[in-house]
Amino acid sequence: MVRIVTDSCSDITPKMAEQFGLTVIPLNVHFGGKVYRDNIDLNTEGFYQKLTRSKILPTTSIPGPAVFTDTLNNLAKETREILVITLSRKFSVVYDIVSRSKESLKSKCNIEVIDSQLGIGGQLILAVSAALMARAEGTLEEIASWVTSAIPRTHVLMTFDTLEYLRKGGRIGKAQAFLGDLLKVNPILGIKKGEAFPITRVRSRARAVDFLVNFVKNFKKIDALVIEDGTTTNELGKLAQRLQGLVPDEHFYRSKVSPVVGTHVGPHILSVSVLEGE
Amino acid sequence: MTRHEQSKGRGVQTGSVTGHQLKEMFNAGTAWLEKCVPEINAINVFPIPDGDTGTNMLLTMHSAMEEAHRSQDGNASSVAQTIAHGALMGARGNSGVILSQFWKGFAKGLKDNQRLSSKALARALSEASEAAYEGFVNPVEGTMLTVLRDSANAAEAAAKANSRNLTKTLATAMQAARESVANTPNLLPVLREAGVVDAGGQGLYVLLEGALHYLRGENDTLKHGKPRLIPTSQPLAPGITQMPAEVEVPYGYCMNFLLEGQDLNLKKIKKNLKKKGQSLVVTGNSSRIRVHIHSFKPGEIIDYATKQGVLHKIKIDNMDDQYAAFIKMQRKKLPPVDTAIVAVASGEGLFKLFRSLGTTIIIPGGQTMNPSVRELVEAVDSAPSNKVILLPNNKNIVVAASQVQSLTSKDVKVVPTKTIPQGIGALLSFNYDMDLENNASAMAEALNRVKSIEITKAVRKSQINGMNIKKGEFIAVLDDNELVANGKKVKDVITNALEKADVKNAELVSIYYGAETKPAEARKIADEIQNEFSVEVETVQGDQPYYNYIISLE
Repeated sequence: MVRIVTDSCSDITPKMAEQFGLTVIPLNVHFGGKVYRDNIDLNTEGFYQKLTRSKILPTTSIPGPAVFTDTLNNLAKETREILVITLSRKFSVVYDIVSRSKESLKSKCNIEVIDSQLGIGGQLILAVSAALMARAEGTLEEIASWVTSAIPRTHVLMTFDTLEYLRKGGRIGKAQAFLGDLLKVNPILGIKKGEAFPITRVRSRARAVDFLVNFVKNFKKIDALVIEDGTTTNELGKLAQRLQGLVPDEHFYRSKVSPVVGTHVGPHILSVSVLEGE
Repeated sequence: MTRHEQSKGRGVQTGSVTGHQLKEMFNAGTAWLEKCVPEINAINVFPIPDGDTGTNMLLTMHSAMEEAHRSQDGNASSVAQTIAHGALMGARGNSGVILSQFWKGFAKGLKDNQRLSSKALARALSEASEAAYEGFVNPVEGTMLTVLRDSANAAEAAAKANSRNLTKTLATAMQAARESVANTPNLLPVLREAGVVDAGGQGLYVLLEGALHYLRGENDTLKHGKPRLIPTSQPLAPGITQMPAEVEVPYGYCMNFLLEGQDLNLKKIKKNLKKKGQSLVVTGNSSRIRVHIHSFKPGEIIDYATKQGVLHKIKIDNMDDQYAAFIKMQRKKLPPVDTAIVAVASGEGLFKLFRSLGTTIIIPGGQTMNPSVRELVEAVDSAPSNKVILLPNNKNIVVAASQVQSLTSKDVKVVPTKTIPQGIGALLSFNYDMDLENNASAMAEALNRVKSIEITKAVRKSQINGMNIKKGEFIAVLDDNELVANGKKVKDVITNALEKADVKNAELVSIYYGAETKPAEARKIADEIQNEFSVEVETVQGDQPYYNYIISLE
């Protein structure tokens, strides 16, 4: 069976990873001198508690190449085919590190690495769908080509109360010119061609949520849907209700933005990701 | 001139004139108009420093006549065409655009005519009237349009009766314009209530009168006389005030300096400077005063100021250069964008705000500085994209903006924003993911979700909406068309206006405070509003001239 690997910026929780037979390589969050493995040593709830208590702002890092080679080596003992789906190359060098680790692999395993050009829920959709295909005995070639073709159909939309965190992390891309910080605005961003992309701005959180709902409802056909939050669990519950029935329950995923992503987006992120039906 | 009778005074009769003389006629008309610009500006319906009709008409005519002077062709038809082209490029404000339509029709009526004859004038005025009406989806009677039509009709009749007497036909047209202007308050209730005649109609009348003076050879009148304005025919209405409104002409010099001295009389200095220029801001105390002023004669101001004390940090800029440099600077910095947004705004704070919200090019201008069609076209042409959205952000600029599409090869969509808050609302809802067409309609929809309140000081006393407004009082205008509150205390006027604007159903109130407003005052008012109406309030430094506050409700 093809094994699917992704990084923790896909916001795939350990529980989901187990459920779908996915391998998730955690990136790191640093609080002062302490290093936490994303969603392993520190979950989202614990992270945001720390964030509000801590005077030091957290930073993130990518684990050493050994972590990647070890993971791939271990999997290579069980399978001849591995597909790695990474966070957008424009956000991080995970893709490059994995591509390099592949070369130094001991066994003769067939490994394909795909830059998802996405992150969070979008990456989650690709990884989970790939895992489902693997279970259905898809070949590496089939799955890889499906993932590549599904990238343009995968849409991620996020809203924040502030772009402050994204700006601090320098991962704002084309949205740079979009910072209406003289006014109270709720920015709405997407991820396009691997970068954060400004969509629009609204003047209240309620309107931002409406915008996300309308965005999802405008698709004629949806194959999978992800909604996720940072700290606003109740809001996510209401959002789930409003989007119920648009997609079969088994393809409607609810998650939390992982600590590593949370470092760059702040506690009030709310996001929807859609795999548009063909 | 082909003179049929004697050569003095009113007896002069002219059968027809050459193109060169046509040019001179309207040079005279323009000069005549220039003499009463402040008076025409003063009869705006609202006592706010409005998008000055007189100034706009004059600047439009200046541009028209400059173009005509460049052409050496002596026949009437081609002179009219160059005037029309110049008027179109220089059109400012609604009245300027109507005037440019006038010339477009006038030129059409004169097509292939070597000379301007009595009949040709009648035909040209009829075409002018038609062209002016065509420019509007819903033409309003009791405005410049009515005056033009009445005058054209009279000219037609006169030309039939006196086919060889151009003077007589023009005189008849002018007389009809005069009566029509006096009648405008009977047709348009808002004029009646304000006790004024239509300013654009007034301007048109003066232009024709000046042309007639030339035709009659009344050079002394042109030189030493002054146009008399037509009072309203409404007996009960208060008379036209002689107090000229403040006029902001976007030319001249912008001056900033610090005046230091002993026992400086802030009030007196302010009063004296006010006579010498526009956009005056004076702040400080008895030992240090900071001055900002626009004037054509910076020497006079320096001269006056040095008599009061010692000058520091003197900065004098030519606003034409400033404008050119501003546009150039914007152009240089611009990375290519898919859809460019060009917006009109005034005030450093608003510039900053509009830029931060993704405006590609800002054209300095607004209420009292309506940019010309040419300025709008130039800005659109310099935008780093072939797809452009244009936000006029002022009622008086919307029509000029709508002319731009026909003058550029770019694809331009005008979102008809009439106020700054509407412009910001539209801008915020710009969607980077949508094409030009869809964005323009989404933005147009968004501006309906915003209510705008503009707070300024009345420039004259007035009676409107059943309110007695005293000169210098604060007044509030809702959505740029309804005066909803007045009073001495700005806070009370704001509260009143907010209630009229249904603040209870608003989620967010944004306050953009002007150049003459102290930030502390704005913040205090914001806090009070927040408590009083339990609504979220934000304050933004707008630095806009004239409007102490611009407020939006969403």
